[in-house]
Amino acid sequence: MTVTDERATAAPLDGEHRGGPVAWVTTTDHKKIGLMYCVTAFTYFLIGGALAGAIRAELAETGTQLVGPQTYNTLFTVHGIIMIFLFVAPFGVGLANYLLPLQIGAPDMAFPRLNAMGYWFFAGGGVLVLLSSFATDAGGVATGWYLYPPLSGPRYSPGVGPDLLIFGLALIAISTVMAGINVVTTAFLLRAPGMTMWRLPIFAWNVVVTAILGLVAFPPAVAAFVLLLFDRRLGGLAFDPAGGGDPIVYQHLFWFLGHPEVYILILPFFGVITEIIPVFSRKPLFGYTGFVLATLAIGALSVGVWAHHMFTTGVVDNPFFSAVTFMIAVPTGVKFFNWIGSMWGGSLAFRVPMLFSIGFMLNFLIGGVTGVMLASPPLDFQLADSYFLVSHFHYTIVGGSVFGIFAAIYFWWPKAFGYRLSERIGRAVFALFFVGFNLTFWPQFVVGLRGMPRRIVDYAPGLGWDTPNLVSSLGVVVLSAAVLLFLVDAFTSRRRRTPAGDDPWGGYSLEWATTSPPPEHNFSSLPRIRSERPAFDMRHPELAPHGGHTDAGERS
Amino acid sequence: MRRRTTQIAAIACLACATACSSFGMPRGSTEQGEAIFGLWQIFFWAGIGVAAIVYGLIGWSLIRYRRRNADEELGRVFYANLPLEIVYTAVPVLIVIALFVVSIGTEDRASSVSATPDVTLRAEAFSWGWRFGFPDEGIEVVSEPSGQGVPGPEILLPLGRTTRIELTSNDVIHAFWVHDFLYKRDAIPGHVNEFDVTPTELGTYHGVCSEFCGIHHAYMTFTVRVVQPDEFEAWLSGAAAIGEALA
Repeated sequence: MTVTDERATAAPLDGEHRGGPVAWVTTTDHKKIGLMYCVTAFTYFLIGGALAGAIRAELAETGTQLVGPQTYNTLFTVHGIIMIFLFVAPFGVGLANYLLPLQIGAPDMAFPRLNAMGYWFFAGGGVLVLLSSFATDAGGVATGWYLYPPLSGPRYSPGVGPDLLIFGLALIAISTVMAGINVVTTAFLLRAPGMTMWRLPIFAWNVVVTAILGLVAFPPAVAAFVLLLFDRRLGGLAFDPAGGGDPIVYQHLFWFLGHPEVYILILPFFGVITEIIPVFSRKPLFGYTGFVLATLAIGALSVGVWAHHMFTTGVVDNPFFSAVTFMIAVPTGVKFFNWIGSMWGGSLAFRVPMLFSIGFMLNFLIGGVTGVMLASPPLDFQLADSYFLVSHFHYTIVGGSVFGIFAAIYFWWPKAFGYRLSERIGRAVFALFFVGFNLTFWPQFVVGLRGMPRRIVDYAPGLGWDTPNLVSSLGVVVLSAAVLLFLVDAFTSRRRRTPAGDDPWGGYSLEWATTSPPPEHNFSSLPRIRSERPAFDMRHPELAPHGGHTDAGERS
Repeated sequence: MRRRTTQIAAIACLACATACSSFGMPRGSTEQGEAIFGLWQIFFWAGIGVAAIVYGLIGWSLIRYRRRNADEELGRVFYANLPLEIVYTAVPVLIVIALFVVSIGTEDRASSVSATPDVTLRAEAFSWGWRFGFPDEGIEVVSEPSGQGVPGPEILLPLGRTTRIELTSNDVIHAFWVHDFLYKRDAIPGHVNEFDVTPTELGTYHGVCSEFCGIHHAYMTFTVRVVQPDEFEAWLSGAAAIGEALA
C-alpha cells in the first residue's frame, strides 16, 4: 500500500476523534494508539493491583488464611510482571506515542503501522502473561518476576506457565524495540522547523533516552529467555550446573535488562513532572540544559549498574558496580534542584497535576535515599531481599512513576478528550493515594529492618512483624479507595463534559497550541518555535528568545 | 517520687536516643556485623541531612511561592544559573565519593576471610532445608522436611572465634541470612561462597532463606545459638558421639 492509499483510507482530516471499534482496531493514528496503550496498561494496573490486594490480605496477619503457598507465589510473580512490563512501562510508551509528535510539531510517528503493530504485540504479550498465571492447569508461573534458574528450569517449574510467560515477555520485548525505533526516528527526523534538539521539550528528551535504553536492554533479555526456553523444553544446559552451565550467567543477562528497565519505568515520568511543575509555577523550567545532560547521564550510567542486584552472589566485582550505582544518584539528585529551581520565585497553583508532581518529589526522594543505601554492598548484604528493598523500589515505582502517571492523566486528559476531570474529586484522589501509599509502604521499611524477607507467604509471630504488616495491609484499603474514586471521576467526567478549551492550564509545549482533542493531522498551523516552550513564548512574546541564537547562548 | 519520675524519664530518653540512633537496625552480633552497623549509621545520618535540605527547599517553595493572587501572570523568570548548577552537581559527587570509600572499606572488613579460621562450617541449602556440617569433626545437622510449624535445624557457634562458612546449594538458589549478623550470602549450585563470622554476643539468632526458592521458602528457617567456646566443644563432641552411635 502506498502512502497515498493510506491517507485515502484514513478518517477524514478534522474528523471524528473516536469512531467505532473497527476504526480503533485498524488505526495507525499515534493519538489513538497512545490512548489504547494507556487504557490497556491501566486495565493491567487494575489486575496487578487486585493481585497486590490479595498479597496484602494474606500478609495482614501471621498464618496462611487466604491462599496456599503455590497460589501466593504465583500472585507476587504475576503482580511484579504486570506492574513492570504491562503497566508502568507501556503507559510511558502510550504517553510518548500521544505526546511526542504533538510536542515536536509532527503529524504522526515516523512509522505509523509499526506503531500499531507494537501495540498489538504488547496487548497480545499481556494476554499470554495473564494465561501463564492462573489459566494454566496446575502450572502457573511461580518463580518470582526474574525467573531465576534453576528454579525456573524444567525440574523445579515443569508446568507450562513459565513457557507462556517467556513467549509473552518476548512479544513485549519486540514491541518495546518497535516503539523504541519509532520514538528515536520520530524525534530525530520529524521535528518541525525551528525545533532543534536543544529545543526539544523535556518530556520528549526523556522518552528518547527511554527508547534508547529499551533498544539496548531488551535484546539481551530475550536471549536469556530463549536460552531458558531451550533449557526447559529442548534439553539445553545453559544454566544447569549439572551440565556445566551456570545460573549466574542468566542473572547477568537478566539484570542487564532489569536495571535499565527501572529507568525505563521512571524516566518518562521525570519528563512528565518536569513539564507540569513549571506550568503550575508560571515560570520556565530552571536549568533545561543541565536537566537534559542529567537525563543523558542517567541513560549512559544505567547500563553499567546491573550487577548491584547481585552483590550477595559473591561472584561479581562489587566495588565497580557499587561505584557506578553511586554515580547515577548524582544526575538523579540534580533533577530535584531543577524542580526546586523551577518553583523558586514562582507563582504556584496547587491543581491536581501539580499535587501529584509534588507527591512524586516527596516520595521519590525517599526511594532515592534508600537506593543510595542499597548501592553500598555491605548494607546490601543486610537489606537485599528484605522488605526494606521491597519498600525502596515501591517508593520509586509507585511513589514516583505511578504518581507521575496520575499527574499525566490529570494534566493531559483535557487535551486528549476536550473536557476536564473534576478538580474536587482529583484532590481527594490525590490525598487518599498519598496517604494510602505511605501507609502501605512505610511500614515495609520497618518490617524489613526487623528482618522480614520478601516473597514469604507466612511469618512466625513474635518477631515484631505483625503490626507493620497489618498497617501495610490497611494502607492498601486506602489506596484502593483512591483508585476507585479516580475511576468514578473518569467515567462521570464523560457525562459532565466540562469543556476544557485548547489550553486549560496555560501550557508551555506545542500540544497546547492545537485544539483539544487535536485533529487527526495534529496541527493546522504551527507557532514559531524559538525555545522548548513555544506555547509559552506565544503568550509572552516579550520573553521569547530571538530567533537564530543557540540555546546555550540564550540561557546564560 | 519526683526523683523516681526524673530517673524514669532519663532512662526513657536514653533508651529512645539509643533506639533512634540505630534507626531500626540491629547492632550486629558479630565483628563483621558491627562494622556494617557503623556504616548504616553513617548512611542514615547522611540520608537525614540530604532529605532535610531537599525537603526544606521544597517546603519553602511550596509555602513561600504559593499563588496568592489568581491573576498573577508570571513568577520571577530566570532560566539557569551555571555556578549554582555546578555546586549542586559537585556537592553530591563529593558525598557519593565519601560514601563509596567508607562502603568499600567496610566491605573489606565484613567480607575478608581469615587465612586460619578457628572453625569451618559447611552449609548446604536444599529445597527446603539446610545441611550444616563441621567437616573437621565429622558432624552434620540436617533439617527435618520443611513445612509450616516444623522448626528449622539449630547449630551452635563459639563466641569470639572465627567461623568460616562455606555455603552452597544442591538444587536451586537459596540464601543464608542471619538478621542479627547483618549479613547474607547466596547459596548457588555449582559455586561455593566463603565468608567468616566472629560472634561477639551470646544469644539465639533466627536465620532464614532470603532468596525465593519455591513452595516452602517461607519455612526454610534455622537457628544459630552463640555459646561459650567450651560449651561449643562439648556440643561438638556430644554430637559426634551421637553420630558415631547412629553409624
